[in-house]
Amino acid sequence: MAILETCDLRKIYGSGDTEVRALDGVDLSVEQGEFAAVVGTSGSGKSTLLHMLGGLDRPTSGTVTVDGRELSTLKDEALTIFRRRKIGFVFQNYNLVPVLNVYENIVLPIQLDGGQPDQAYMDQIVETLGLGSKLQNLPNNLSGGQQQRVAIARALAAKPAIILADEPTGNLDSKTSQDVMSLLKVTSQRFSQTIVMITHSEEIAQMADRIIRIEDGRIVTWG
Amino acid sequence: MRAARARNIIAVLAIALTTVLFTSLFTIAASINHSYQQENFRRAGGDAHGTLKNVSWEQIEELRDDPLIVESWARMFVGMPSDPPFNKSHVEVSYLEPQGAPHHFCAPVEGALPQEGTSQAATDTRVLALLGVEPEIGAEFTISFYIDMNTVAPQLVTRTYTLSGWWEYDSAMLASHLLVPRSEAEELASLSSGGADTLTGQRTMHMMFRSALNIEENIQAVLRNHGYGGADGGSVQDISVGVNWGYTGSRFDGGLSLEEMSAIAALLALIVFTGYLIIYNVFQISVTNDIRFYGLLKTIGTTGRQLKRIIRRQALLLSLAGIPLGLLLGFVIGNKLTPVIMAQLSYTHAFVSFDPLIFIGAAAFSLLTVFLSCARPGRMAARVSPVEALRYTEGGNAGKRSVKKGTGGASLPRMAWANLGRSRGKTAVTVTSLTLAVVLACLTYTFATGFDMDKYLEGSVATDFVLGHADYFQSGFGNGDPSQAVPEEIIAQAAAQGGITGGGRVYGQERSIQALLPEEYFRQDYSKLYSEEMLDSLVASQERADGGTVVGLAQLYGLEDFILGEINVLEGDITPLSDPSQNAIAAVYSTDEHGAIRESDNCFNVGDTVTLRYVEEWVNVDTDTGEEISPEEADARWARGETNYAPRAKVYEEKEYTVCARIKIPSALTYRYSTLGASQLAMGAELFRQDTGTSSVMIYAFNTAEGSNAAMEDFLAQYTESVQPEYDYESKATYAAEFHGFQTMFLILGNTLSFIIGLVGVLNFINAILTGILARKRELATLQSIGMTGTQLKTMLVCEGLYYTLLALGLALVLTLAGGALVGDTVTGIFWFFTYRFTAAPILLLAPVFALLGAAVPLAVYRSVARFTIVERLREAER
Repeated sequence: MAILETCDLRKIYGSGDTEVRALDGVDLSVEQGEFAAVVGTSGSGKSTLLHMLGGLDRPTSGTVTVDGRELSTLKDEALTIFRRRKIGFVFQNYNLVPVLNVYENIVLPIQLDGGQPDQAYMDQIVETLGLGSKLQNLPNNLSGGQQQRVAIARALAAKPAIILADEPTGNLDSKTSQDVMSLLKVTSQRFSQTIVMITHSEEIAQMADRIIRIEDGRIVTWG
Repeated sequence: MRAARARNIIAVLAIALTTVLFTSLFTIAASINHSYQQENFRRAGGDAHGTLKNVSWEQIEELRDDPLIVESWARMFVGMPSDPPFNKSHVEVSYLEPQGAPHHFCAPVEGALPQEGTSQAATDTRVLALLGVEPEIGAEFTISFYIDMNTVAPQLVTRTYTLSGWWEYDSAMLASHLLVPRSEAEELASLSSGGADTLTGQRTMHMMFRSALNIEENIQAVLRNHGYGGADGGSVQDISVGVNWGYTGSRFDGGLSLEEMSAIAALLALIVFTGYLIIYNVFQISVTNDIRFYGLLKTIGTTGRQLKRIIRRQALLLSLAGIPLGLLLGFVIGNKLTPVIMAQLSYTHAFVSFDPLIFIGAAAFSLLTVFLSCARPGRMAARVSPVEALRYTEGGNAGKRSVKKGTGGASLPRMAWANLGRSRGKTAVTVTSLTLAVVLACLTYTFATGFDMDKYLEGSVATDFVLGHADYFQSGFGNGDPSQAVPEEIIAQAAAQGGITGGGRVYGQERSIQALLPEEYFRQDYSKLYSEEMLDSLVASQERADGGTVVGLAQLYGLEDFILGEINVLEGDITPLSDPSQNAIAAVYSTDEHGAIRESDNCFNVGDTVTLRYVEEWVNVDTDTGEEISPEEADARWARGETNYAPRAKVYEEKEYTVCARIKIPSALTYRYSTLGASQLAMGAELFRQDTGTSSVMIYAFNTAEGSNAAMEDFLAQYTESVQPEYDYESKATYAAEFHGFQTMFLILGNTLSFIIGLVGVLNFINAILTGILARKRELATLQSIGMTGTQLKTMLVCEGLYYTLLALGLALVLTLAGGALVGDTVTGIFWFFTYRFTAAPILLLAPVFALLGAAVPLAVYRSVARFTIVERLREAER
């Protein structure tokens, strides 16, 4: 069953001479529990694709369907709520909230939704990501790798349909990058979590179940 | 860069507002000083720097050419009218050289000064009104005046003049002028006895120097240049020297009291602080935001000193825009406020000063504030390490806190609270500047409403109306003239108006009454004015009575029962006063601001015996020998300037009284002056009449029914103006108006100050919110991307805004409570009619305004941010 599906997705910036086709007819489908990597060079359109998938930006044409819901049918407010329930984000620069401690950062999406965190599940996540001793720390005292682990935990917390990771290892050294990738992989398996990761690094992409190559706004290889 | 533009606008506005405060303060202060000086010139009769008295025409012509003198003119005094209608005003008949007219404020607004060789004269509207002459050129009028006025043989002369010109009467001037041609003046002067003591025919020469500095030295130099003055500065040949005290008495020449100085210093400090709060905040935030840029500059080799200079130059540029704006606005505001304050300082003239020093001073102080404010941000930029600068985020580098307790999760209000803590300095400064405005508004309100009119009137005014002779209100009752008494028919006239609910007479003594006083009290009373040496000689020459007491004086009141009901009994019982057979007397005291009796006011206590001497005949005695001397001998000694004689009572009746009470008489019912070496005493009206043998009614004080006050006021105004011009009155309404005027001034000043400081606070707040949101653009976008809805985000931001304003309100409440309790006592000390009552009304009033502000500002700023999509914002921040 495809949990994520796009149909003839296009995103065009500008018009006429200055027209840029960031996405030029992307058809993509990701299965439940799959760990997919989108690989492309800078300017290939991979970031734009991720933003479309996450509902952060609206396509010029075409549709994105997540967990059976077509995103373009949702209004801004509803889209935000859908996002916090169904989509988890992991950013290159972690984007943790500096005034909240690790635990508060992790449960933030659940609390924004007015829900109570599932404590057993939380313990599991914390244990998996090795954050047990850092729960009360503020993000600024953590290393990059640790911060990214918090970001992953935050993405997992709401049990989303899909996690979108935007260059999650972009700011990390290679050793730490390996650790983070392993964690993503473990997470994907243990929680049967669908993950779509974008990266420019072939090496990183190799750790995913499937590799999708993108060039000039088009998908060129299906792994 | 939008943030930078908004920041610059705020900085310019902040600098402008600071300058506004300085300029208005300086304008007001300078205007008061200037008006004070102008008022003094009018009181002094002119604005000449110096005056030479008793000079001849030849001397005048000779001195006139002195190079030190810029302008000079002569005046020849002739005489003064003093019979009604001129009994209440001081009018001088004289010749004045035309160039002197503007200096003596008597340049005609219509017509011209009198022509030589005619019977023309020029005068002011008051003199014309008193004469009953319309101010029309060519009008004829007849006036009688005295020459040799102050000698033993004044002569009354009557002259008819044609009006050649007139000018408006100026109420600040003590004297009105009637100007006649020189020939007329000379002719009149020739009628004078020509005695040494007459002023008639005396010439004075007035002069202006290049500046008002060293007037005395300049005059002496002029005299010396022409061989008149001695090197010791003394004058010769009867020429006496006068320096216009209007210049020397200027407030800034040491005339400024310590309280006024500290008030001005406190205000200056407050303004510097207010300005500092916002300008500092703007620069601090700007440096923080641009820290990467400064780090970059450092990596490419800019020194710390150069960075500081860059920041100073920025400040200077912003000042260049802000200060002129502030000067202009401040001048306008100062101009508007000056008359309000002037009215309270009972100046007749409000002169707004245009002194360039005001602007230079205000600009300098503003610049000082700006440089003070950017010193710390400058140091911060100078010290930044290039590497750290790249990692620097607002508040984030604090690192002081690495752990945050609690796993309760994050609610929106708690996140908002945490956000305030990010940059505690910024939050503190913002909250402080908002608080300051609220506290000021609160204190202003507390004080303005705390001025208690009843308390204000209580000590001074006892009755609705006080009716008396015009001299009485000028502190001139009791000069031995029985016509100063209020005749019964006038009292009857007032009573005939109806509406009087009660009234009584205060009798005043017509002649000196002696009292036997303890030497200690006598000395202490005189020590207010006399030096130790003078005191010794005075006491030695004073007549002694039994028991070593000194024969001093009494200032005696006779009080009717109604008045007895209006006075304050400080100690004892006043009922015996109403019974003449008891020979009771009360000692008059005053009280300090705490209501305690000023013991030094009098020497008699309840139960004491007071001996009074009602003198029927006086003689002069030689104080060395104690022998009586003839009036001729006394005159001769006086002429020789000898002081070894004094008047003594020869025939007198002595009587003893018992002090039954110590009382305080409201100031509106007193003599309005006190005699040195005298004890103030009061007895019942009947006993007073019986023992003094006189019955001069000093004043008639009465109350009217509420509804009749206005009618009575109108009647008395008209009656004392045209029917009985020798009499005058005072009403509670005049005092009340005075009080309200004062209260209004206080409110206007306080509110203006609070408003401007409030603006500074609001600017600071907008700046804090604006930079807070712009700097967190990416973070806010992240929050949205992980699922914070627009509503939730706005809620959080509004919470932040509300926290600022609520903190400010709370802090203001605490400070007002503390400040009021602290300052309240001091203010009560200065304004005895102030009652401190704590009130939170302004805080309650401001609460909704602040709430609105706290919510609206973040929403408005967020709106401008939300125009960009999340992706754009996420990207922008990454750059």
